[in-house]
Amino acid sequence: MTKKIIDFVAIGAGPAALSAAIYTTREDIETVLYEKGVIGGLAAVTDVIDNYPGFADGISGLELADNLRKHAERFGTEIRLGEVSSIIPEDGLLKLVTTDGDIYAKSVLLATGCDYKKLGIKGEVEYLSRGVHYCATCDGAFYRDKKLVVIGGGNSAAQESLFLTRFASSIDILVRGDKLKASEILIEELKKNPKIKIHFNVTPNEIVGENNKVTKVAATNTVTNEPVDYITDGVFIFIGLNPNTGFLKNSPVALNEVGQIITDDDLKTNIDGIFAAGDVRQAATMQIASAVGEGAKAALEIREYLNSLARK
Amino acid sequence: MVKNITIFTTNTCAYCKMVKQFLTNKGFSYDEVNLDNEPEKQKEAFELSGQLTVPITLITKSDDSKQVVVGYNLAQLVPAIS
Ligand SMILES: Cc1cc2nc3c(=O)[nH]c(=O)nc-3n(C[C@H](O)[C@H](O)[C@H](O)COP(=O)(O)OP(=O)(O)OC[C@H]3O[C@@H](n4cnc5c(N)ncnc54)[C@H](O)[C@@H]3O)c2cc1C
Repeated sequence: MTKKIIDFVAIGAGPAALSAAIYTTREDIETVLYEKGVIGGLAAVTDVIDNYPGFADGISGLELADNLRKHAERFGTEIRLGEVSSIIPEDGLLKLVTTDGDIYAKSVLLATGCDYKKLGIKGEVEYLSRGVHYCATCDGAFYRDKKLVVIGGGNSAAQESLFLTRFASSIDILVRGDKLKASEILIEELKKNPKIKIHFNVTPNEIVGENNKVTKVAATNTVTNEPVDYITDGVFIFIGLNPNTGFLKNSPVALNEVGQIITDDDLKTNIDGIFAAGDVRQAATMQIASAVGEGAKAALEIREYLNSLARK
Repeated sequence: MVKNITIFTTNTCAYCKMVKQFLTNKGFSYDEVNLDNEPEKQKEAFELSGQLTVPITLITKSDDSKQVVVGYNLAQLVPAIS
């Protein structure tokens, strides 16, 4: 049986892969994207994106994701809803093990982004989706007029807390260090918001519940070393992101010590024909604008790579 | 055989959109309960799923048996509609 060989497959359909697909399809390169979660990636689960150039009034994450998808599909991108669980170089091709079975590609873009980090404390797993959450735009609506705790002190924690004020009566933000690591504009908005109180030097130890409901976060104030409880109806955790590279564990693609994909300046990995772009890449700036820029660059490099194969 | 499908959603939930798109692609129609517009139905969504999250998809089969799928979970949705 002859196997069907696809010119270019991207793993993920977030901003990086969708941007790459706009470029490759416009070059008439057959393009297939595999997406196991949401088309648009983390951009789609963000309420409002205020810093993506060209949208002076900001744009909702869902709308931006939809526009990116439509743009990529307009030139012929095929998006398959499924997961890639492994990638193996085989006879000069790249074999991808997917939920639809094995497929073969001449070139592959790894654009799998990141996933939310877990705290790893007691109560976090037990109360998952029943008081412990990682996605404000998904689960925030269940906390109308309720008290919330947000754990984290970066841009995501700040942005998501502001979104959650639409529903919650009050929000305690617990920050491990002595300052926020969010952008100035977000910090100003947090300070202005009467529903938000920020607590510094707090390390959460346990998410505590009663009768199947979260009731408090038990924490330690690391300056005084005193225990401190934050009474709450729910907890949203935004403490950073881990690269989605677990599926590469049996592949020869080189990762750094925190699991991000190592590339050269041309976004090439150590394996011929495999490129990486966006948040999953070492040195990523974790912004949609740069993910999209890297997607475009990767597409141009992939075009060169496919041309070089054709010349052989 | 599927008799009917109800999806509990909110306006900002990207995973809800994926479930709707998936079912539409497969040729299924569904009723939608938008919890932003009908917050009083949150309790119903919670009682069905035991979870404070959307999407919640309630699939009623022709023999009136019911199956609830929480989230955008293709591993559960695919067998539930087949
Ligand atoms: C709360 C929050 C707020 C943010 N706000 C902003 C903002 O205001 N402005 C901004 O510029 N950036 C913002 N960001 C960052 C921005 O979302 C990311 O930089 C951007 O989405 C990265 O794009 P990407 O394509 O690299 O990865 P992602 O968007 O993460 O997309 C990767 C996709 O790959 C899929 N995937 C992973 N593994 C597999 C697999 N094995 N098989 C198939 N599919 C797979 C995932 O499901 C995902 O959809 C925010 C992030 C968060 C978490």
